[in-house]
Amino acid sequence: MASRAEPMTRRRPSAVSSWMDRHVRWLLVTPAALMVVALTIFPLCFAVWVAFVQYDFSLGDEHPWVGLDNFVENWKDPVWRASLWRTAWFSVTMVAIELGLGLLLALAMLRPFRGRRVLMTFFVVPLFISPVVVGGFFDLFVRRPYGVANQLASWVWPGDVTIDFSQDSPWVYIVLIMADVWQWTPFMFVILLAGLAAIPDTLYEAADLDGAKPRQAFSFVTLPLLMPIILIAVTFRLIDAAKLFDIIFSLTRGGPGTDTYTTSYYLYQQGFEFFHLGQGTAGAWMFLIMLTFISFWLVRRLLKPVEEA
Amino acid sequence: MTDITAERPRAEQRGKSAAVRGGRFRVGGLLRFVFIAIYTAFLLLPLYWMAVTSIKSQEDQLSDPPVWFPGDPTSINYAEALNRYNGWKGLENSLVVAFVTTILAVAFGTAAAYSMARFRTGGKHLAFWFLSQRMMPPIAIIIPVFLLYSRYSEEWFGFGLIDTRIGLILLYTVFALPFTVWMMYAYFRQMPPELEEAALVDGCSRVQALRKVAWPLAAPGIISAAAFAFILSWTEFLFAQVLARNEAVTAPVALAGMITFFQGNLYGQASALTMVTLIPAVILGALFQRHLVRGLTLGAVQG
Amino acid sequence: MSDDVHFDPDQSHDDYMSGLRMARRDFLVKSGLAAAALAAAPTWLKTEQAAAAIRASTAPGGDPIARGAVAAAKQYKGLTLGRINEAGPQALDDKNFSGPLWEKLTGIKNKVTEAPFAQIRTKVIAEDLAKSGALDSIEMSPAWLPDFADQGVIIPIDNLIRKYRAQSTLTDLHPLYRALGRYKGKTWGFFDDGDVWALYYRKDIFANRQLRSAYRAKFKSDLRVPRTWDEFNQVAQFITDQMGPTVYGTGMGRALGNPGNQFYFFQQFRSNGGRFFNPQTMKAEINNAIGVKTMNQILAQNKASPPGVEKLDFVSGWGLWLQGKTAMIMAWPPTGRISENIAQRDKAFAFLPKSKIVGKVGYARVPGRNGEHAGSFIKAVMATSKNQEAAYLFNQWANSPSISLQRVMLPYTLRDPYRLSHYRSPQYKRLWKGADEYLATLAEAANDAVLDLTMSGAGDYANALDRAMTSMYAGKDVQGALDEAAREWDSITDKLGVAKQRLSYANFLTYPGATGKNTVRKRGQAVSV
Repeated sequence: MASRAEPMTRRRPSAVSSWMDRHVRWLLVTPAALMVVALTIFPLCFAVWVAFVQYDFSLGDEHPWVGLDNFVENWKDPVWRASLWRTAWFSVTMVAIELGLGLLLALAMLRPFRGRRVLMTFFVVPLFISPVVVGGFFDLFVRRPYGVANQLASWVWPGDVTIDFSQDSPWVYIVLIMADVWQWTPFMFVILLAGLAAIPDTLYEAADLDGAKPRQAFSFVTLPLLMPIILIAVTFRLIDAAKLFDIIFSLTRGGPGTDTYTTSYYLYQQGFEFFHLGQGTAGAWMFLIMLTFISFWLVRRLLKPVEEA
Repeated sequence: MTDITAERPRAEQRGKSAAVRGGRFRVGGLLRFVFIAIYTAFLLLPLYWMAVTSIKSQEDQLSDPPVWFPGDPTSINYAEALNRYNGWKGLENSLVVAFVTTILAVAFGTAAAYSMARFRTGGKHLAFWFLSQRMMPPIAIIIPVFLLYSRYSEEWFGFGLIDTRIGLILLYTVFALPFTVWMMYAYFRQMPPELEEAALVDGCSRVQALRKVAWPLAAPGIISAAAFAFILSWTEFLFAQVLARNEAVTAPVALAGMITFFQGNLYGQASALTMVTLIPAVILGALFQRHLVRGLTLGAVQG
Repeated sequence: MSDDVHFDPDQSHDDYMSGLRMARRDFLVKSGLAAAALAAAPTWLKTEQAAAAIRASTAPGGDPIARGAVAAAKQYKGLTLGRINEAGPQALDDKNFSGPLWEKLTGIKNKVTEAPFAQIRTKVIAEDLAKSGALDSIEMSPAWLPDFADQGVIIPIDNLIRKYRAQSTLTDLHPLYRALGRYKGKTWGFFDDGDVWALYYRKDIFANRQLRSAYRAKFKSDLRVPRTWDEFNQVAQFITDQMGPTVYGTGMGRALGNPGNQFYFFQQFRSNGGRFFNPQTMKAEINNAIGVKTMNQILAQNKASPPGVEKLDFVSGWGLWLQGKTAMIMAWPPTGRISENIAQRDKAFAFLPKSKIVGKVGYARVPGRNGEHAGSFIKAVMATSKNQEAAYLFNQWANSPSISLQRVMLPYTLRDPYRLSHYRSPQYKRLWKGADEYLATLAEAANDAVLDLTMSGAGDYANALDRAMTSMYAGKDVQGALDEAAREWDSITDKLGVAKQRLSYANFLTYPGATGKNTVRKRGQAVSV
């Protein structure tokens, strides 16, 4: 290693900076940890309490202990049960499509070409639009009679298009998935692109020298090195997709009937429209535990190398 | 191990390795462009519709079949959105809150991530604890946060955090931290410690090593983390709606107000305001992608 | 769609005009007056209104209710009152009229929080939990009254009414509305918005000669404004068949929560003789034969409506109506004013298109006679307010006969006439030709109106029904969906407590208009104006 400029290495450390040096690991973690604790400890303790007492606006100011009643109340409701199942397949489908699309896009955009920078700027734009608004605009698209979807469909399809994209099964699901994919594919794209950029050329050169074909280079060089990034992206995206709320709120309001209720929307309604806070909070805790298990499983792969190292 | 000072020759070899890296698609060059074209069309269609809706007159908004090229575009939607429906205030609040949140979340998050990656502070439990913050559905904590900000903040500190920008900033920082921490955690893990070891051997303190070696190399990751922290605060809706009343109204709340307006919809005005919120988005997107592209052409993190 | 009748707007207009040939001179005189009034209206409406309001609040011969409130409120000069109102035109009343006037008269500043309607209840309850004193005077829906009163969110105001000798403000209310501010023997707020549904129809279409003869040929009876629900469907489908897709028979927005399908069901179900619960067992009865019949009638209405009506929101429905694309709608009273372009003159109403049907709109009671009284507002005082008396005084003042008259005549207002003095006001009758007929129809509609379900958990019940109805629009079978809704109603009743709900429902049944058999008219209290 070439030697560095002299002055930097010759400074005598002061008492403060050497204390800092010894405790640097804790100093670095403290601000973040402190903020999280301060702003979540009271809400979480409160939320634990609320889940086990009767806390319902229509039932008065007393909050007697009711044990597991709030939790059971959720399970009695078929809308809750259906929403869990629906949330699961929504999130998996959306994330899978976003991952696939994002990866293809990142690979396609890796090589520079004219206009790439302009395109990249546009690609990032959907992320900056609030999901509530994205849902609202897709709603505008598909609703009749002022929306565009039916007109577009009639250009492509011979004959009359009488589908109501915002109501008819399975179109309403397709529209919801499309809205989410439209908004979040750029997320995957950017993260994966950054990850691809971080893979050093030397590895590809080595593979090339070894006579590896491009597909093999992808499987043995790109994919393994990209895996941690993929896992991060998928974990975050999956957790966020599972909490799908804003798009439902503005596109379908859970309808028609209860066909597009996600768990978050159901809990929002229970807690915020009906103020059945006990039941809503109990449901939220159950949902949190389910999400924790799933993400723990995903993240274990990421954490494993840390232990091995 | 490659030499950090040998950047320039590396760049020359870039073209070749890029071909190798992207070689898989050399055959499908046309396919690649078709794919990009289709995706771009899919991307631009709603944006075009938003843009066109923002300049349509009332007549055109309600016409059936829908109007693709408005005959007499008008700017009234913009004027209305900004002046009448809290547009200016929403934009200003959103900008301030998003910027400060980003700075805080990136600073604290990177520091924590570095500590966890290099020193295994807190082991795997601390890391996972940060992540788990993200999993809580808002409904469980929205009422206690509301109470905290209104009643208890008043009692304990003498001022309420309800309807204040600082209140939103603190909350959003906590929301963004899991992401910034984990993004940087993955980055630092990917970065070999040898470089900093070398700096330490040379006599730098740990703090100096962090500042002069680790931080610059993690730049692409920091940029990404910052971008997403910004996006999170820029688009957050539910908490802003509950915690803001008049003063701290952010752009998404103003927009949602237009979309659920009086049991109807003000799509002209909503699209106008959305278009305006896209201006900082496009600027930041342009800056962001430039950094990203620079990372691609100057050579990746070595080692 | 049949080509039998080519809808010619000029033809219809001629028919319409010929019907009036006998009273031609009368018509000319009246329309001249109307034109003059309309031409003068913009300036007269706002600045003269403010002047009239000030006169009423201060001059010796003015309105004692308004004067009393202002005089008593002057001691609170310098105070800031927190208000909450629906975002948009509703809040303009606070921001542009009542707020500034109140400050001018008393020195009290009103600070308004605007929220979309669905959020008002949430914000009020959240404020009740927070107890920070941010809200003093609130706008609330009567449907929330049982919960709010029982849970102590708002305070009863009988003492204050007595203290300020304001009893006469209540006797001026239409009997239906007098009841809505009361609960369990106490008064909880000032009723402030006559949101009764009426039938608005196109006079020119009904007068169209070709249409009339085609109808007579087909049905052997005259085309007339429908009086029953089945007749409504018959007429609507006929118009759609003959004149669609230029004009549809009807087109009322069925979007979830927007306005909310429960209103349509509540209205027709009770008109058909149905009742919501068995008063003893509290089992829901919305899925019986009457419920199924009601739902099928509603589905038939959808068939006669433009495509996409299932997701059409309320304001877009108005858009279609104003553009002349629908022949009959049942809706809130502002429909009358916007049909005459009164509201669209104000910039705040730029979201509505200009009316293409000025002068062509007729008013009638809803088929089956029992129109829904849907929504509306009450001015109440929050229990957590630190300025309860000042808040009360503002409510009393804004709600007083003279001030409320000015408020319901504001071009951008969404508050509708609700006082006998409103229905009889010569000023209001001058707003447009036909305004007198409009006011009379509203008063009659209130005589026969049925109320929203007003009991504990009303929001839950409404939501379950709303959702079930949207699933039926999407094709789910009617009996199955109604059974599902009834099951949800029963579980809501269980969750809140059957005994408690029984009491709450029994209390609801004491209101006039709780059922079709118990309207204001049936109680012998009908008003005629």
